[in-house]
Amino acid sequence: MALWLDVLDDTIRACAGYRRADLANRLRRKRAQLLDPRLRVLVVGEPKRGKSQLVNALIGAPVCAVGDDVTTALPTVVEHADEPRAALVTSPLPAADLAITGGAAPADRTAVPIERIAERTGRAAGAGLRGEFVHAEVGIPRALLASGLVLIDTPPIGGTDPVRSAYTYAALGAADVVLLVADAAAGLSDAELDFLRYAVRLCPYLLVVLGKTDLCPQWRDTAGRDRDRLAAAGLPATLIAVSAALRLHAARTGDQSLNAESGFPELIDCLRRDALGKGERIAPAAAAVAAGQVVEELAAPLTGEPDDADQSPAADALAELRATQRRFDELRRHSARWQNMLSDEIADLVSDVEYDLRDRTRKILRKVDDYFDHADPRTVWETFTPWLDDNLLDAAEANFRWLVERSHWIARRIAAGFPTAPGGVLPDSTFWIPEVFESMPQLDAPAVGQFTIGQKVFTGLRGSYGGLVMFGLVTSLAGLPLINVVSLGAGALFGGKTLRDEGENRLQRRQAAAKAAVQRHVEDFFVKFSKDCKDVGRQVHRSLRDHFTALAEDLQEELVESARMAKQAADSQVALRERRAVEQHRELEGLRALHGRVQSLVGPVPAIPRQRSARSLVA
Amino acid sequence: MRLDEAVSAMFETALDLYRDSPRATKWLSHHAQRFEDPLRIAVAGPPRSGKSTLINAIVGEEIAPIEVEDGNQVFTWYQDGPTPRATVYSPDGTVGELPISRLSRRLRLMGDRPAEDVREVVVDWPTRALRHAILIDTPGIAASAAEVWREADAVLYLTRNVPGMDLDFLRLGQENPIARAAPIGTILVLSRADEVGGGRIDALASARQIARRYRRDIQVRGLCQTVIAMAGLIAQAGRTLREAEFEALAALAARPQAELADHLLSADRFAALDDVGLLDRLGLHGVRVAISLIRTGCATQSALTAQLVQRSGLTELREAISQLLVDRRHVLKARSALLALDFVVRMEPRPGAPRLLVELERAVASAHDFQELRLLAALGSGRTRLPEELTEEACRLVGGTGGDPAVRLGLAEDGADPAELWARGTDAVARWREHAASPLFNQDQRRAARTVVRSCEGLLADLASAPSPVGGHHR
Repeated sequence: MALWLDVLDDTIRACAGYRRADLANRLRRKRAQLLDPRLRVLVVGEPKRGKSQLVNALIGAPVCAVGDDVTTALPTVVEHADEPRAALVTSPLPAADLAITGGAAPADRTAVPIERIAERTGRAAGAGLRGEFVHAEVGIPRALLASGLVLIDTPPIGGTDPVRSAYTYAALGAADVVLLVADAAAGLSDAELDFLRYAVRLCPYLLVVLGKTDLCPQWRDTAGRDRDRLAAAGLPATLIAVSAALRLHAARTGDQSLNAESGFPELIDCLRRDALGKGERIAPAAAAVAAGQVVEELAAPLTGEPDDADQSPAADALAELRATQRRFDELRRHSARWQNMLSDEIADLVSDVEYDLRDRTRKILRKVDDYFDHADPRTVWETFTPWLDDNLLDAAEANFRWLVERSHWIARRIAAGFPTAPGGVLPDSTFWIPEVFESMPQLDAPAVGQFTIGQKVFTGLRGSYGGLVMFGLVTSLAGLPLINVVSLGAGALFGGKTLRDEGENRLQRRQAAAKAAVQRHVEDFFVKFSKDCKDVGRQVHRSLRDHFTALAEDLQEELVESARMAKQAADSQVALRERRAVEQHRELEGLRALHGRVQSLVGPVPAIPRQRSARSLVA
Repeated sequence: MRLDEAVSAMFETALDLYRDSPRATKWLSHHAQRFEDPLRIAVAGPPRSGKSTLINAIVGEEIAPIEVEDGNQVFTWYQDGPTPRATVYSPDGTVGELPISRLSRRLRLMGDRPAEDVREVVVDWPTRALRHAILIDTPGIAASAAEVWREADAVLYLTRNVPGMDLDFLRLGQENPIARAAPIGTILVLSRADEVGGGRIDALASARQIARRYRRDIQVRGLCQTVIAMAGLIAQAGRTLREAEFEALAALAARPQAELADHLLSADRFAALDDVGLLDRLGLHGVRVAISLIRTGCATQSALTAQLVQRSGLTELREAISQLLVDRRHVLKARSALLALDFVVRMEPRPGAPRLLVELERAVASAHDFQELRLLAALGSGRTRLPEELTEEACRLVGGTGGDPAVRLGLAEDGADPAELWARGTDAVARWREHAASPLFNQDQRRAARTVVRSCEGLLADLASAPSPVGGHHR
């Protein structure tokens, strides 16, 4: 078996190894195509270059549509047949592919008389339905075709009808030879050169035919210039100049010298050589190109820079590790800080709360003082006591609420410094409620003695005694008895005054006593409540400290754990990458060997560069 | 306000608006000046599509191409002038004058100037053919497309065949909305028509048919005003045939048919008989046509050249140029000027510019001249079909035979009775209004009728504002 076939089979096996069924299929199609003894020549070109006329002139029969304006609308496949026959074929495969599969695909054939087939492929021809391809098939007995030559006339490329030229592009892969028809008057255009550059990647065997030499006196210069351009572009194309008009005229008149002038004998020789030498010359080159491209595609993921998808897990692991370390540092920095912050804040809190309480009780005392400057404790005591209790309780509540709020604030502030942990870092709010809120201490009424009737009589008599004696003595001088009306009146007056004075004195004493009692009571209350508050503060301090210490420990543990895991992940990624690189290297070595064999089909070429872009594999 | 007055007024406004910007002022005054210049027609197309040959055919002398060093082509302007001379503009802005000489029938600039030193060449040539238009020969490269559309008021686009043509080039000319509103400056020329069908003797007739078909093609008709097939070499030969060449042709025609037919099969075979360079001058097809013409009765040089010119399609092309471009030069120039104004307003926006833009858009939308031009081209190319008797009247009313009101209304240009003009005008308006609403017409036809109505109304308005009003009935 031929060397190229071995290489192609090995490449197909390699495709299977890489689970690339698509590439394997592509190569299998190519293999079938290259093993087929027939030589498919795809006749392509820009509009109005004489493609159809060239095919007609080659076989000496008007089977392809020609006309003054753009004509060919459907491809025509011309091959050898013992009897002239023609058909329009509608199939789900393009004509060139169908030619390979040899009619295995379902196709709908309509026989057409051979002399009318050209009309059916011309401008008026309708295209197939969506997903269907229509082409004409012509069989004609010709010595040229008998060697297995199949000519495929195509609609123009690069024209204003992109749908039709798309057919030609699609057919390139299934062609053995691409025959580009250009115009001798204009020479190869840049667009045609671009097309050849594209085509050579799919079908390495190119023929360029300059048509219409009969019209153009300078066709030899044009041909020489175009050969240089092809060589400069690195295109391995053979260029032949022909004139279809002369060939057809020669065929009509039987003029052999004119036929020689037309340039066709050279073209026919060339095609016949190709058809006979398909296995020796064309197939190895085509196999080399096809297999080389496949190897290139297989190698692309191996040689190419590790792409993003490949790289990202390792990068993720490393990023994770770094993030964990950053959080760890943050936590350590905060741990040193938060304890100091907590004690400072709690100390501030306690002193602030005490001051606040002092301030509030003092205000109450001032109010009590003002009140008892006027009010008589004896009459108002009953209503005063609840008022005082209410006020004190209010003050205590406000003070305690402030304490609670401030404790929360401290907790939040410290928590904010911690790296966030799932489930939050704030402690549950538990406060010990001071007992004042349960039961206020009782305020005892000031001990002020009763002003009894006896005392009043006695006090009145004591006062009236002075007045009676004073005025009785004065009026005794006037001869009145010691006890007379005047002295009695004065005694009564004096007695009344003394009685009043005594009442006022007693009131003031009561007020002073009440003030003292209230002051004592408030002081007691203050001492007790502020002690409670201090206790609460200490308790808050303790519970926050315990909570955050535990939290810090938890976080630290968690971070240590995740750092360990991130490191592990990164390590395993690196190991995996290294292992994969080794594997890739081994596979690449295999592919390189294969590639070397592929290249040996067409001659010496540079080896695959190590770890470089895959593009250079076949370049 | 008439279109050219509106354009002049807009230039004044713009110059005032941009007086502090030297760049804009330079651009504006350049284009205000250009507005007064003759029409500029660029000849564009891919390489070897026959641009220079076409210019020679139109001018009637072999003046193109002008070759600079290395055979490179640059923008070459051909304008009417008292004496032949060439002015060379360099990329750096320097201007130099160079003598011209003929070297083997081609014009060549004397003096050594490297190709990269020449941006464009302006050739003054004394000829009547260039009196109303400047022709610009362009390098056939895609890179020059933008410059072509910037510099030219109208374009002759040459292509060997329509499907192979560079649609991008033509579309580039319609990128600007103003240009799109008036796609009137392009004539598509199917050049090298002599090569159709492998240079058969009836190639030109076939090419003419193809051209006619493309005139109705939906894709083509949006891009140009009309399509004309033309055999450049034959036209050029018809215009510039020398006596020696005619004699050589006559001698060939005198040979026996059978012997000659062999020689006429291919260029290679004919080269043996060709002493005076007939192949280069006429092409193989041209030689075949000329010989068959001489054989069928064109015995004199003048008869032959007349036939060659007529068959080449040059007559048709010159008519199209004259009717569609030169006669309409004020509209085309106005269009270029509006494009230039639009460019400057968009490039340097500033307060006041939007108002100018609005004025511009109003001028474009309301420019009835543009609409008339489009209708004329549509009627001429058969894109819009009216009943035969109406087609002629419509063409006349929209100014196809001349812009004078009397001519438009079908009267002699001088001495028309104002009352009769008025009567005919009102009659035309009434009839065409009916057509515009006729249910028998399709949409295209009704639109055409509306344009005619608008033209008639414009005519009546002109008549009414004429210095000697006719009667009182129209007020």
